[in-house]
Amino acid sequence: MKVTRRDFFKISGATAAGLYASQLGFDLSPASAYAATLRIKGAKETTTICAYCAVGCGIICHTSGGKVINTEGDPDHPINQGSLCAKGAALYQWVNNPNRVSTPLYRAPGSAGWKKVSWDWALTEIAKRVKDARDQGFVKANAKGQVVNRTENIAHIGSAALDNEECWTIQAMMRSLGLVYIEHQARI
Amino acid sequence: MADKTFFIDTTRCTACRGCQIACKEWNQNPATKTKNWGSHQNPEDLSFVTYKLVRFSEVVSGGALRWYFFPDQCRHCVEPPCKDAAEALGYKKAIMRDAATGAVLFNQTAKVKAKDFEQIKEACPFNIPRYAPTKMVMAKCTMCIDRVSNGLLPACVKTCPTGAMNFGDRSQMLTLADKRVRELKAQYPKAQVLNAKDVRTIYLIIDDSVRYHKFAKGQGPAGMTRIMAMNKLISPLMRMAGLKG
Repeated sequence: MKVTRRDFFKISGATAAGLYASQLGFDLSPASAYAATLRIKGAKETTTICAYCAVGCGIICHTSGGKVINTEGDPDHPINQGSLCAKGAALYQWVNNPNRVSTPLYRAPGSAGWKKVSWDWALTEIAKRVKDARDQGFVKANAKGQVVNRTENIAHIGSAALDNEECWTIQAMMRSLGLVYIEHQARI
Repeated sequence: MADKTFFIDTTRCTACRGCQIACKEWNQNPATKTKNWGSHQNPEDLSFVTYKLVRFSEVVSGGALRWYFFPDQCRHCVEPPCKDAAEALGYKKAIMRDAATGAVLFNQTAKVKAKDFEQIKEACPFNIPRYAPTKMVMAKCTMCIDRVSNGLLPACVKTCPTGAMNFGDRSQMLTLADKRVRELKAQYPKAQVLNAKDVRTIYLIIDDSVRYHKFAKGQGPAGMTRIMAMNKLISPLMRMAGLKG
């Protein structure tokens, strides 16, 4: 269905007056209780790209008080023009989901299970091990004596759900460590 | 605001279920635990927390297998039998009809007894009303009245990527439905719209309605059931006698 934002307002034109009157205390319609409480009213709108597939649909995230309260298709986005499939429409529960992993988990070598650890411990441990692995395999110069400053001990595999900006940040970080094996399942 | 209507063109539906999920998300309804029951239609049926469901139906037509998709939801009847039934049972405010849009709404603060709900459900030709026994409350599609009243499209229509879900002024939707039927008639002689005069959710299908869903066209005439008719007849007497219907 082709409805532009302008049309949305046309649909709503008459309603605005109706709502105003109902807020003054006249019960114009039994639905006024429903109508007066649009939960995304006044929410901050931030655009993002759906991370699921290569189509790259535009999505609006509505936030209020720092919390994501709604996500829906962005009508101004040229790719999807407001529409979303089941996966894109479910983006809201990426953030608001009781099943979401909320702390770092550590599984020690040989261990059978995961253990909850603090961010501090996890980040320190990762940094330590990255540094160790890098230092062990760091090559300053190749066989011909050319300066290469690289490590072949670490590879980086990017997620399909990364956007351009995230890829750039990761690329810069990995190159600075001297990585040469950098891969990404490019989709969006 | 003019009278509103959905036009659902099932020939354009790919059963992506965007509508089903967008509905869940907007209404903040929890997920339903699903299982493999031999069909992609999941969950199996509408529920207190599932107002919209894409029904899948595999049928053999003219020697070929056809897979029909039917994005089921409340029809927002022009004369809603559920409302009549509720009123006949003494629930004056359980079911409302919004004057501006024509949306039929279940009042989420109205408690309904389980046995009365059964009658209200039976009154619906399309088997739409659902009930939470613990809360004693009924639920179904709200036409996203909060969105529509604020100039937004219903969540299911907004999200539809194929143009199967349409929403707007009733006259525009009827014109669109007519146009599509005319386009499809040549290839699909059974192309038809369902109950266009009586409902605000008009489906376009290209085969017999029961091949899509048992209640696609509505069971029996979209009117009063026997129990409702009886209740309507006796309710003035009951009131006179000081009893509750």
